[in-house]
Amino acid sequence: MSKKRYAIVLDTRKCLDCKACTVACKAENLVPLGTENYRNWVSEGRLRGSYPRLGQEFVPGQCMQCGNTPCKRVCPTRATGVGAGGIVTVEDKKCIGCKYCMTACPYNARYYNEERGAVDKCTFCAHRIEQGRLPACVETCPTNVRTFGDLNDPDSEVSRLLVERPYRVVKPEMGTKPFLFYLI
Amino acid sequence: MSAIATVIRRPGEWAWFGVLAVAMLAGGAAVGYVFVAGHDHALNVSRQIPWGILISTYVFFVVSSTGLCLVSSLGDVWGFKAFEVIGRRGHLLAILTLLTGFGVMAMELNHPFRMVLYAVISPNFSSPIWWMGALYGLYLVLLCGEFTALMIGSRRMSFIFGLAGFVAAISAHSNLGAVFGLLEARHYWYGSFLPIYFILSALVSGGALTALIVYFNHKARGISLSPDYERFMITVGKLQALFIGILMFFIVWKMIPGLYGKPPEKYEATMVLLAGPLAFNFWFFEVLIGMLIPFLLLINRRTLTPFGVTIAGLLCTIGIFFMRYDLVIAGQMVPMRESVAEGPAHLLEYFPSLAEFAIVAGAIAFCLFLYSLAEKFLPMEGGHRH
Amino acid sequence: MSKFLRPEIIGKGSIVSRLLKRKLSRRRFLGVSSCALGTVALGSQLNVLKALAEPGSGVKLSLVPDRSVFTCCEMCVNKCGVIARMREGVIHKLDPNPSFLRSRGMLCARGNAGLQTVYDPDRLKYPLIRTGARGEGKWRRASWDEALDLVAGKMTAVADQYSRAGMMFVSTEGFQEEFFLRFAECFGSPNTLRHPTLCLASNLQGFGATYGTNPFPDVRNADYLIMSGANRAEALFTPDSIDMIAGDGGRRKLVYLDPRFTRTAAKADEWYPIRPGTDLAFVLAMLHVIVGEKRYDREFIDTMTVGFDELVPHLETYSPEWAAGECDIPAEDIRRIAREFAAAAPRAIYYQGRRSSFFDNDTQLRRAMAILNVVVGNWDVKGGMLPGKKIHLGENYYLAPWYDGVPERLETGDVTYLSLKDGAWKPFRDRVLAADPYPVKGMMVYKQNPLQSVPNRSKTLAMMEQMDFICTIDITMSDTAWYSDVVLPEATYLERLDPIHVLSGPVPEAVMRQPCIEPLFETKPNQWIMQQLARRFGDEVAESFNFTMEAFIANQVEGHPEILEALRTRGVYRENDEPVYGASHGKRMKTRSGKIEIYSAKYAKEGQDPLPVYRAPQTPSRGRYRLLLGRTAYFTHGTTQNNPYLHELMAENSLWLHPDEARRLGLRDGSRVRVRSSVGEESLPLRVTEKIRPDCVYMDHGFGVLSKGLSRIHGRGASDAALIEDRMEPISGNVAMHQTFVEILPA
Repeated sequence: MSKKRYAIVLDTRKCLDCKACTVACKAENLVPLGTENYRNWVSEGRLRGSYPRLGQEFVPGQCMQCGNTPCKRVCPTRATGVGAGGIVTVEDKKCIGCKYCMTACPYNARYYNEERGAVDKCTFCAHRIEQGRLPACVETCPTNVRTFGDLNDPDSEVSRLLVERPYRVVKPEMGTKPFLFYLI
Repeated sequence: MSAIATVIRRPGEWAWFGVLAVAMLAGGAAVGYVFVAGHDHALNVSRQIPWGILISTYVFFVVSSTGLCLVSSLGDVWGFKAFEVIGRRGHLLAILTLLTGFGVMAMELNHPFRMVLYAVISPNFSSPIWWMGALYGLYLVLLCGEFTALMIGSRRMSFIFGLAGFVAAISAHSNLGAVFGLLEARHYWYGSFLPIYFILSALVSGGALTALIVYFNHKARGISLSPDYERFMITVGKLQALFIGILMFFIVWKMIPGLYGKPPEKYEATMVLLAGPLAFNFWFFEVLIGMLIPFLLLINRRTLTPFGVTIAGLLCTIGIFFMRYDLVIAGQMVPMRESVAEGPAHLLEYFPSLAEFAIVAGAIAFCLFLYSLAEKFLPMEGGHRH
Repeated sequence: MSKFLRPEIIGKGSIVSRLLKRKLSRRRFLGVSSCALGTVALGSQLNVLKALAEPGSGVKLSLVPDRSVFTCCEMCVNKCGVIARMREGVIHKLDPNPSFLRSRGMLCARGNAGLQTVYDPDRLKYPLIRTGARGEGKWRRASWDEALDLVAGKMTAVADQYSRAGMMFVSTEGFQEEFFLRFAECFGSPNTLRHPTLCLASNLQGFGATYGTNPFPDVRNADYLIMSGANRAEALFTPDSIDMIAGDGGRRKLVYLDPRFTRTAAKADEWYPIRPGTDLAFVLAMLHVIVGEKRYDREFIDTMTVGFDELVPHLETYSPEWAAGECDIPAEDIRRIAREFAAAAPRAIYYQGRRSSFFDNDTQLRRAMAILNVVVGNWDVKGGMLPGKKIHLGENYYLAPWYDGVPERLETGDVTYLSLKDGAWKPFRDRVLAADPYPVKGMMVYKQNPLQSVPNRSKTLAMMEQMDFICTIDITMSDTAWYSDVVLPEATYLERLDPIHVLSGPVPEAVMRQPCIEPLFETKPNQWIMQQLARRFGDEVAESFNFTMEAFIANQVEGHPEILEALRTRGVYRENDEPVYGASHGKRMKTRSGKIEIYSAKYAKEGQDPLPVYRAPQTPSRGRYRLLLGRTAYFTHGTTQNNPYLHELMAENSLWLHPDEARRLGLRDGSRVRVRSSVGEESLPLRVTEKIRPDCVYMDHGFGVLSKGLSRIHGRGASDAALIEDRMEPISGNVAMHQTFVEILPA
């Protein structure tokens, strides 16, 4: 059995900006209340054009589970690491709260969780994956914007999508090698 | 009884310690508030601007420490005789500013005690912050060694510690620049500019602070400057003019690439300083107070007096405090994610909370308090060759 | 009563109650000291879990559920299948039920936020009796016995002094509403007043008068969709919202008409900012093209419909060129859309939407939309309009007592087709205020919140003011509860066992709510409340409520144990997975003629237009704007704005205004403005946006609450109900909410 490499492929054309993923994530991962506290998000894209010719995109996101992790690199105590399937993890007890990883992340994917006493971020719901369940954001989405799977499995849905459809990643110039892929 | 007598005898001293005590009490109360209410509520830092005035004040203090060390070692290590008079005081204040800096940073950290443990048992050698801790730790040890050597008057020891301290100061401080400069995500900070710039600005800081301590010591004691000190002040003044000149050159070349071709994010951050929310800080405090006026005072023969050098030093120090603040905040004000669908591009906002201000004030007072005590109880006069 | 208050329930409730009380006071304390601090102190789920888990053993919290409960959502009307993941006796997460077909296995933000209805410190916890003036917010906690005795006594007093019709029963849909309506019937009042005339009454009327039923659009299989007045990307409706997107990127085309650039507009292939109130002109012009160019389905029209021959001459003047001037949509686009629509037929749907309380011509608009679907043969075909089907359940019979001398419904004769069950809010309220033909002096409310939902709030307040007695049953302190005399706390949907309900549609499904936890505090299911109340009205009334929920459900599934088995093991029961198409072809429709009625003889008889006639809406005078209102995907009407999770998504509504107009008025984005109509004034922040027609302003529904019991949103935003004039569509009695003009003033 080969090693897994988890990824999420997003089809933003389907996104309604209904925020189901955001609320599902907060409940699933016991993210504290507060508008600053979230592991995933939906951004309103810039409004294109002017009345009455308008266009707009909605872009969901979360930790990109980068292949080249600026957050892990800068963490002074190795609290941030990379776990099974390439998921970037935070070991709570080692986090000193210097927030260096927060300044290093080009995606603003991290926040300081006062209740856990550590920086917190998306884990692709690793605890659910272990039980064979989908990440909460993937499962709950009304329009199935997100597809989750193992990129090392050539037959997985995510692998298939990335073969069949053109895609982009966010801020490729950062060299972070993100594993969130946005279909074009 | 004796305390009251002292107060009556020296009202100035009493007022000085009184002011420091009030500021320290405010700072202490703020520290207590941080522990009770939590960082989240006591500090105005946020998810998007995680580093606030406490980090910039920390940088200010350690820059001061580095500068004091570099300038003070000019006498003991590099043989510039005019600087020997500042040896003890310079190194002592270097130690105190460094410790205060650590204290301020600890208030920004959520878990300073975890840091002590996990930095040792789980070090990450690719982290500039880990190196920052290690190098400043080493630097602190060497500073203490140097200060001890100066106090016991061992020339050989002071040279060795001084040289080692000098190297450690350069390493630690340029690494502090790298803490910011290695963040690819932050276009305004990223690159090799900051490590070099930090060393240069440390020299300005060091020159300014040594001039201040010399002047105010004499003032407080009501004595006039000896020829040695007179010479020191004028030399520092001239050197300071040179440092400020180079600093202005650096600032100009920091700004031009930030504007030229409007590089994304870097341009927005540069404009924050030039014409944005931090423009007053930049033009008034950094440029006018921090550089232009001191520079003019120092290149003008008529104002190149000990008093003129002191005023220049004071203005420089204030300016540098704002330089640190502006650098830290401007680098974070451009959002990592576009957050506005309509209207002009959006900048993040940060303004320190009352608790943050109080901690900063308390820290400055604490540093001055310790230094004043040292002046009272330790033989600070002169260097080792007296 | 005692059997519902088992000791361990009280025990658990009290832990949480202490916890929530502490949090509440801390939040209030912090709220005074700094609003910025407010967020933290709100009870977080983790703290609730910790507090519950700690006594005992210091159990280590893991994110792995120890138990799962199949139930169904009640955050809106869609009733999506839910699997509640339980841990340490606490609801940890609500997951979508993948077996539930109608929601396509999803759960929206509200569905996910549902668990906060249980653990929200703002929820109603105990029966409350008012001690101060109405609306002053002074309450005392009462026992159920005391509260119910008081309610029963007051109701009897109203019945004695006036008549049984002097009590009005206000309610809205829900799995336990039937017990409330049963109680109203057993009490003997004809005056039940439900939500449809604030919502879709004209829609049901218009489509019903044409098809004999309100059909279900097969959005999933449609190739061409036209939506007007239906913001499906935000006003989520299953499965249409999901199916609308499913075809995106494929052969599907979505044409969307809305004065606002909504999220649906962002997803549409074409968006036209139509002039509000002119949709009928657009539909008539489409019909003009399709009929004039003979692009209709002749065979279908001949076999299934009546009145097409009357339609042809009726359409003559309704040309696209004429409509262009009405709708602000170019004639060539109307013509092209009509042709594309006809070409895609019968997999082409002019979507009828849900809420249709826009204009006083709405029933005729819905008629025209139905007729447009009909002429292209859109009935019971794949990708078209489908008949709803049902799953048959056993009945629970009861016998309501007969009372002599009870008058007819209050607003009888005010509406062409008045629903005896639903009533019509506007004329009803006017008649209460006039005490004409008889006074109504008592008000029982279940779940509905007329102060937030009925246009012209000051009239609703006046109506409530003249009441001798008001009792509200709800889960939160709604505005209506806030102005009541007695407030009874219902258990939330996650704490109740509810009857089985069948969601009709092309693929009908049966769902049920199973309790995840015992009701917290002293909250009770409505069935229990009605039962206890009924006992206070004599044996005959009590008899109709003398059952347990388990027995009620057993009757529903009598002879069909497989239904209950499926509900328990999969959370949903259905008989087939795919719709069966075309079974109704050639069969009699549920209209008087037995055919689809293009020409409505019954309307003609009632003096209404038998074919839709266009009458142009009023245009706003200079300096005034048409006030529009609508929804976001985060909130259900006025009910979920105070939910801790959802509140974070939007803390306040704002007034949308086009940049040109904002410039003209000298108003800046984000500044606070006052909005003034002929019936009220509200203030809220301004949002300057290109997303709206310059002659309109818009606000999201559900803010500007009066109740301080909704602590997060009190004082935030504006209430549209306070601004909208009360106008009515005469055929269905539906209110017309988009006919109010307002001025915008700096605050």
